[in-house]
Amino acid sequence: MAEKLTWTELRRALATRAGVSEKKASAFLNALQVQLVEALKQDKQVKINGLGTFKLQAVAPRKSVNVKTGEEITIEGYNKLAFTPEAGVKELVESGKWEVDPIQKLGSQAEEIVDILGELGQRPGEKPVEPKEEQKEEPKEEPEKVEESAFIPEAEPEPEPQPEPKPKKKKHHFVRDTLICVVILLMLLAGAYFFLRHELSSIIQSLIQPEQTEYLAPAPKEEEPVIETVVVEEPMVKEASVEEVAPVEDIRVYKDYILTEEITPGSRLAWIAKKHYGNKVYWPYLYDANKDHLRHPSQIAIGTPIRVPRLTAAQLDTTSAQFNQLRQEAEEACRK
Amino acid sequence: MLTKEFIGLISNSSGLNKKETEQLLTTMNAVMRENLMAGKAIQLQGLGALEIKERKERVIVHPRTGERTVAPSKKQLVFRPVANLKDELKKI
Repeated sequence: MAEKLTWTELRRALATRAGVSEKKASAFLNALQVQLVEALKQDKQVKINGLGTFKLQAVAPRKSVNVKTGEEITIEGYNKLAFTPEAGVKELVESGKWEVDPIQKLGSQAEEIVDILGELGQRPGEKPVEPKEEQKEEPKEEPEKVEESAFIPEAEPEPEPQPEPKPKKKKHHFVRDTLICVVILLMLLAGAYFFLRHELSSIIQSLIQPEQTEYLAPAPKEEEPVIETVVVEEPMVKEASVEEVAPVEDIRVYKDYILTEEITPGSRLAWIAKKHYGNKVYWPYLYDANKDHLRHPSQIAIGTPIRVPRLTAAQLDTTSAQFNQLRQEAEEACRK
Repeated sequence: MLTKEFIGLISNSSGLNKKETEQLLTTMNAVMRENLMAGKAIQLQGLGALEIKERKERVIVHPRTGERTVAPSKKQLVFRPVANLKDELKKI
């Protein structure tokens, strides 16, 4: 451990690796140096992905004795800067092995190879790249292109290391973009469902009713047809009554909401419950009311909106069996 | 503070845009990890040094059975802040 990577060396390595000017790398490192201290002063904790967490730990004041005089003195409390490496980094250090990401490893080299090939008048890198991509993503739909791509590499087998990093990057972007599209679509659907569910349910009901008439029609055929209409109306009445009775019995129905609150750093469901209901034991309601977009009650992303339902007297009863069940479910979800 | 907010801070004070800053931060981490694994310590000017230290093997005692075993030596990534920074952060 005698060797050191100095600030200057780090700056140079950073500039070459990231492909930016040394001036930019310098600006970045200087800003990092200043801002890390600022951020620590502000938040007492700075997490850096891919490295670890810097944290200020408070050391409590303690009593001691002056060695010379035997007099009791108090050593004042202070802050200590601690660093915890990220789990992956820690494992890496412990294992002692280091596998360089092939793309990053080739990073600057790949560009050099491209340049050299370009000078030689060979530019084969671009063409085989795209058919290869399509071959991976849509192998069934377009078998002709597979043949093409299979053919091209045969003709030019030499520049193997060069085209490799590029398609990987492209594919990565493509996958990410499609993922984003899918997520947005899902969110839109969920939003549409949320706003239209009442209308939907009424539409579904109206759809179900005619079906039921058809369904029930053959059964009472032998008897009088007058009964038929009576039978048809019954399910409607039942459904309506269920809807009316439910809010009274089921504590999980939330009629109106006080407001919607966003999760801020350090906030959690229990705190919001205490703020609005005066007691944190009611947090399971918050989880239940927001179950549709919460995966885990204690791991909520910052900025997540939390709907705060207005609780009725029955819901505020912490001794009821229903509340107990709700709480148990929520606590179970915590342990997942 | 999370990485994203920190990136925002850096980009504000350096004039680089967020994307560049993020890329630089990831690259910096990669460079640092590689150098650490190559047995080098990283000197961060004005902040401190990151280095891999070896913890010696030691005898540990199982608290319940009183059994004595040897905990193997292991490597650890440690950060040593410079004295200035230590003093600066002591009182906040």
